[in-house]
Amino acid sequence: MIFADQVLFRGSVYSGVEDDLKSLFNVAVSRGYRVIGPKLVNSVIRLEQLNDFNEIPYGYGDKQAPGYYRVVNNGGRFRHGPDSPKRFLYPPELLLFIIRPDLSVEYPRFEFYKTAFFGIKPCDLAAINVMDGVQGELGDEYYRKVRENLLLIVENCVEPGDTCFCATMGTGPFAFKGFDVAYTRVGSGVVIFQPGSDLGVDILSELSLRPAEDEQVDFLRNLMLDASKKARAEFTLENLPETLEMGLDSEVYRKIAERCFGCANCNMVCPTCFCFDVIDEPELDGSAKRIRIWDGCHSYSYAQVAGGHFRKSLYARYRHWVLHKFVYWIRQFGTFGCVGCGRCITWCPAGIDLRQVVRDVVKEVETRCRR
Amino acid sequence: MSGNNKKAKLAVFKFSSCSGCQDKLIDLGENLLSLIEKVEIAYFLEASSRIDPGPYDVALIEGSVSTPHEVELVKEIRKNSRIVIAIGTCAVYGGIQSLRNWMNYQDVVKQVYPKPEWINSLEKSTPVSDHIRVDYQVSGCPVNELQLFSVLKQVLTGRRPYHRLESLCQECKRGGNVCVMVSRGIPCLGPIMVEGCGALCPSYGRGCYGCFGPMIDPKPDALARRLEEIGLPKEEVILRLRGFTGWSDPIRRFLERYERE
Ligand code: SF4
Ligand code: SF4
Ligand code: SF4
Ligand code: SF4
Ligand code: SF4
Repeated sequence: MIFADQVLFRGSVYSGVEDDLKSLFNVAVSRGYRVIGPKLVNSVIRLEQLNDFNEIPYGYGDKQAPGYYRVVNNGGRFRHGPDSPKRFLYPPELLLFIIRPDLSVEYPRFEFYKTAFFGIKPCDLAAINVMDGVQGELGDEYYRKVRENLLLIVENCVEPGDTCFCATMGTGPFAFKGFDVAYTRVGSGVVIFQPGSDLGVDILSELSLRPAEDEQVDFLRNLMLDASKKARAEFTLENLPETLEMGLDSEVYRKIAERCFGCANCNMVCPTCFCFDVIDEPELDGSAKRIRIWDGCHSYSYAQVAGGHFRKSLYARYRHWVLHKFVYWIRQFGTFGCVGCGRCITWCPAGIDLRQVVRDVVKEVETRCRR
Repeated sequence: MSGNNKKAKLAVFKFSSCSGCQDKLIDLGENLLSLIEKVEIAYFLEASSRIDPGPYDVALIEGSVSTPHEVELVKEIRKNSRIVIAIGTCAVYGGIQSLRNWMNYQDVVKQVYPKPEWINSLEKSTPVSDHIRVDYQVSGCPVNELQLFSVLKQVLTGRRPYHRLESLCQECKRGGNVCVMVSRGIPCLGPIMVEGCGALCPSYGRGCYGCFGPMIDPKPDALARRLEEIGLPKEEVILRLRGFTGWSDPIRRFLERYERE
């Protein structure tokens, strides 16, 4: 667990008003960033390119539950919608290369923009850090090209949603590393700003902010502690990988597989899932395109290989998803694969709740051990 | 089919169907022109009056088998063609007309035709693969012209055609749609239907009707339960699943069980 106290006193804390957010937006624009942030499109909060600060639907809230999402115009606060930064860093469909009939290879030329994510949530910031760990120094070139020129402006969450469990995963509801600027709308028009990098310090210096008062810092700390209490699942990270590994044969997975469709919506919306399929599209002139598309471990064909299939039944595929997120990932890449954003819960058309699955497997193992 | 410069002979046949899938070939526009450079259209009554008796390299069959005459014809086509591709949901699963397979045939004929005694059709409308060996299938009501084109390109360049058979949801999400089921409570068959249409219905804010047919390893039980949970009455769940591809094996087997429950 990361505690609010540790975070708050790591750097400077500034106080401003809502107009300063607009100035922050405009500084990003004036520095040549294409700004991507939350926008209300057909009653859903999407991540889209923004031309104007006023496109951000502050004042709207959302209601999220397993398999349920609605935006409400209630003066509340919205969380993230279905899109995550993954869509921009690691596009759902990407042309890798074209092979010509003479076997020469042509690589596509993409235009890479300096990109600012404005108002993404701490869980999505954490997801970018997780993706960094996956891609490493030698990872996907497209990813690295976009990543190199990112400006990360994060909005801390004062009101976590009902599917959020970032506090359990240690990734939110406030940003603690890897951001340029974090801000918190603490109420009554006051906004607290924190720089998280040299770039962030530089950008904030263009705003007319004041150092925050001690009382403001105390107030912020309490807000964060309260929010942390809400964004929790009913399990903890303590010995989680080991416990889950002892529950490989858990009945819980078999029960869930009766409700799961294997549709892979969860893999698609997950801000860290990086699996892909490669499609070759031959053209009549003898050339061929190779295209990479998002795929996920719930797909039947995902674990199908020449000569066989190593996860034919759906319960094994569902279990793999849980194990990769909470067991294997940390051994492969040093972090958990789940940041607790809850997207896979909200956007599962079957309404399956990953938190409950993990909790139930843990409980089952613990009961077994006690006996 | 690569390696020789002779044009491949392509034939397009129509069985019991609406012709929409053949029209999709014509919809290919510029792509059709590039296709014509590689193939000789030997038989395609919708597009040309020329009748080349074959044999053909590639035969596309649109439509289901639903008359005694069609049973014979489809066998002849098989004998006369090197590669047979069933195109469209009628040819692949029996089509909308296979709704009659769930009912009493005589009742249906009486309801539809003023002179039922003039009708000489089979009790059931069935997929081409029930009658002959089919090399490849491209489903859809109608087919997606780009997917059909892709399969043709693969066949004509000597590959074994491949397209993904995973859920429509994946294509829906990759295309950037918002799930209508989660965000608006609209029933959608996407979680058990195959990708390929480009998630057309969800991209217009409607639920998938399942016209491309089941995905690989579909879970109709789980979906039916969920649709009931979000408020769709059981009778409507049944109608929806029957609608376009209810005669496909996995959905039919499920419905036979579910209707009795
Ligand atoms: S998971 Fe945490 S960081 Fe993400 S939106 Fe919810 S509360 Fe905010
Ligand atoms: S958990 Fe939900 S979203 Fe994931 S594959 Fe199963 S039904 Fe689909
Ligand atoms: S597994 Fe679910 S909760 Fe965890 S990061 Fe992925 S989408 Fe979010
Ligand atoms: S959870 Fe599944 S889809 Fe996601 S990264 Fe792991 S193996 Fe890939
Ligand atoms: S709208 Fe339908 S196809 Fe798209 S993700 Fe939702 S359930 Fe799947």
